[in-house]
Amino acid sequence: MTSFIDLHHVTYSYPAAVPDARPALNDVSLEIGEGEYIALVGANGSGKSTLARHLNALLVPDTGEVCVGGLGTRDQAHHPEIRRTVGMVFQRPDDQIIATMVAHDVAFGLENLGVPADEIRARVEATLRAVSLWDDRDRPPHMLSAGQAQRLALAGVLAMRPRCIVFDEATAMLDPAGRRTARRMMRELHAEGLTIVTITHRMGEVLDADRVVVLDRGSVAMDGTPAEIFSQPDSLNALGLDLPPVIQLARALATSLHGLPEGLATPPALVDAIDRLRHRAIAPPTGTSAGSGIPSPIIEAHGLGHTYMLGTPFARRALDRAEIAIGDGSAHGLIGATGAGKSTLMQHLNGLLRPQEGVVRVADYDLGDPRTNLRAVRHLVGLVFQHPEAQIFEQYVGDEVAYGPRLSGLRGLELRSRVRWAMDLVGLDFAAFKDRPTFALSGGEQRRVALASTLALRPQVLLLDEPTAGLDPRARDDLIGRLSHLRQGGTTLLVSSHEMADIAALTKTVTVMDAGRTPVQGPLAEVFADGEGLAHRGLTQPVVTQIAEGLRTRGWPLPSGITDIAVLVHTLTFLVAEESQ
Amino acid sequence: MSEFEFQRFVTIGQFLPASSVLHRLDARTRILGGLLLVVAISAAPNVAGLAVAVVALTLLCLAARIPLRYAIKGILVPLPFILVLVVIQVIFGPGGDIRPWVVAGPVRISPTSAINGLKLLLRFPALILALTLLSATTSATDAVHGLETLLRPLARLGLPVQDLVLMLQVTMRFLPLLALEAERIAKSQASRGGEWGTGPRGVLRRVRQTLPLLVPLFLVGLRRAESLAVAIEARGYRGQTPRTSMANLRYEAHDALALVLAIALALAMVLI
Repeated sequence: MTSFIDLHHVTYSYPAAVPDARPALNDVSLEIGEGEYIALVGANGSGKSTLARHLNALLVPDTGEVCVGGLGTRDQAHHPEIRRTVGMVFQRPDDQIIATMVAHDVAFGLENLGVPADEIRARVEATLRAVSLWDDRDRPPHMLSAGQAQRLALAGVLAMRPRCIVFDEATAMLDPAGRRTARRMMRELHAEGLTIVTITHRMGEVLDADRVVVLDRGSVAMDGTPAEIFSQPDSLNALGLDLPPVIQLARALATSLHGLPEGLATPPALVDAIDRLRHRAIAPPTGTSAGSGIPSPIIEAHGLGHTYMLGTPFARRALDRAEIAIGDGSAHGLIGATGAGKSTLMQHLNGLLRPQEGVVRVADYDLGDPRTNLRAVRHLVGLVFQHPEAQIFEQYVGDEVAYGPRLSGLRGLELRSRVRWAMDLVGLDFAAFKDRPTFALSGGEQRRVALASTLALRPQVLLLDEPTAGLDPRARDDLIGRLSHLRQGGTTLLVSSHEMADIAALTKTVTVMDAGRTPVQGPLAEVFADGEGLAHRGLTQPVVTQIAEGLRTRGWPLPSGITDIAVLVHTLTFLVAEESQ
Repeated sequence: MSEFEFQRFVTIGQFLPASSVLHRLDARTRILGGLLLVVAISAAPNVAGLAVAVVALTLLCLAARIPLRYAIKGILVPLPFILVLVVIQVIFGPGGDIRPWVVAGPVRISPTSAINGLKLLLRFPALILALTLLSATTSATDAVHGLETLLRPLARLGLPVQDLVLMLQVTMRFLPLLALEAERIAKSQASRGGEWGTGPRGVLRRVRQTLPLLVPLFLVGLRRAESLAVAIEARGYRGQTPRTSMANLRYEAHDALALVLAIALALAMVLI
């Protein structure tokens, strides 16, 4: 393989206020061959995006050299050719779609390169057809779904016929169906001979690549095939990363199930291998299901309908006869494709939106009644939006957390102890953090500050919209742990997420949304057992459930809807061990 | 209904896709025609001319398939302010030398000031209708390409037309996104005990509650601007080098006809 992109001892620092800050990239050397499929992983702040931006001369190294197809990035005259060669797809489609009409956005790059008009039109059409957006060519981009917008972003790059495409966390904001499509397109482009570099926090996606580069604090910490990298879980953990769920499960099983081959990296392969083991036909004794009594609901919505921009030509129906009931002290999940209405439903549950049709009750409050005290409702039900750290506005952590309680009249010692209590809940030491500037925190810490600032109102119910989006594996695990702790402390949780594993880890009951309706509502195991139903609604089962259900269809006496790795390992160990004696 | 739908009352600047005669005109015709009407409305000296403007624009809105209720909503928002202005104009405006109808202290209602008030009352809705008409029939892309062609001669004088047009394009694309962002931040602060949509309304309170809104909005705006700049650069945009364009604007007979009609209408407004 010839070297296509060559990074030679690259060091780069962002111009920063702090003079002796650690460089974002520190002496990185890397050779990328034409046609490779590389996954670039690492904790937040490890320098992945900075590295990616060196690949097409968006950044030029302080010291060292980057060559793309033999052209050095230091020479400005090479930039047009380099950007034609290496295209980039970013995380948020919104931030990279420039034109106000789909077709024109695809043309943007070609216009910059000076391609003649006829050629542009031909390429735009071919590209839009390839990503199935030709029928939407005249629509404004903000009318596209998230998945379509991501495909448009890709089309804008593809039209330039690059030899390499860099995906900078391009799947992070997508729902399961959108993510599946994006992964399929990356594999297809790779099969056509393009070089693919993908940055991701999802270890499952890393398995698609044929090479993994792990960054740690600006340096290359590991470089190898996925099999090599994932055979070193301890080193990965030390770098703030974890194993893909399939491999986690395979490793956990390998210690108790003898005869399981190594290196199984896909759910079907693992199912096949397990199925080859002999097993008992008797179902294991199931523990008595604890807490089967249904608690009285603290939040209820019936026949809820909502139309945005009602009375304008842009009216859009977001909720249609939606139903939800959340038991006091329970943990409830909300899943559904992008645009299914999850966020709109949540905003009804703390009175941000008043019901246009139907009824919403929160404890004793009727939210349809104009006399209802909305502030009291919002104190009772806290809502944490997606990426809540973007809404931080105070300079110091302590002030940010104190904002809500101060508005509700707390002063002096009482206020102080409330802030301390909220910060304790999210694991931020009061003395160490209260006077820290909010902008100097890491992404994970900022998210915890934002959570604390809602918890400081001591809500009885917490609504969380995509609580783990954008966090690296370590920060995600930490947050899930803290939320579980809150739940055990009696806080009612409603969690919406595209991350089925998060839903499985945090909740006991689930509502599935589809086009503004709530067609399915039930216990976690029941909802996740129906793989086809989920796929039909653009969702997917957690990997553990996929494997458990795969075994069930082959006659293994497993209970349906297993979502927990430990439970599956335990059950399988029971079934296999007894037989082999 | 909802305190948070910031976008809902802004009708100026919204493109309404439809396939009307007006939508099919060349973008340059629409921009020139629209500007011409706006200038004429501003300059029209008589009530008759302004009445013609209101009637003609209403008809044009119908021809462009803009729902009238929607167009009127755009007028209703600033209407209270206009009414106040009209009242001030009528009561305190200069009366000329004709004998006033009513004199009571400083209040003087004369035929002249009444007519001036009436003109004001017609002029503002006419302007808003004209702008609504232009923006509803012209997508941002059209506007950008139209302006680019119209302004191209200026590039020879050394003006950075290309950069200016790109700036305009990006602004048009981002205003609705920023409005959505503002909405989200306001909602988030409200869930933290902020005072959106609850409690008494007062000017001071309003000012105080915008600060928690402005800081994050500013930061989000900056962050987005930065990502966008990177994306634009990544796709090979370089300010000074010449670009090509996919759009080919065709000037046809009906464009010329439309422009002639617009000129006639403008002249009528000013001369009647």
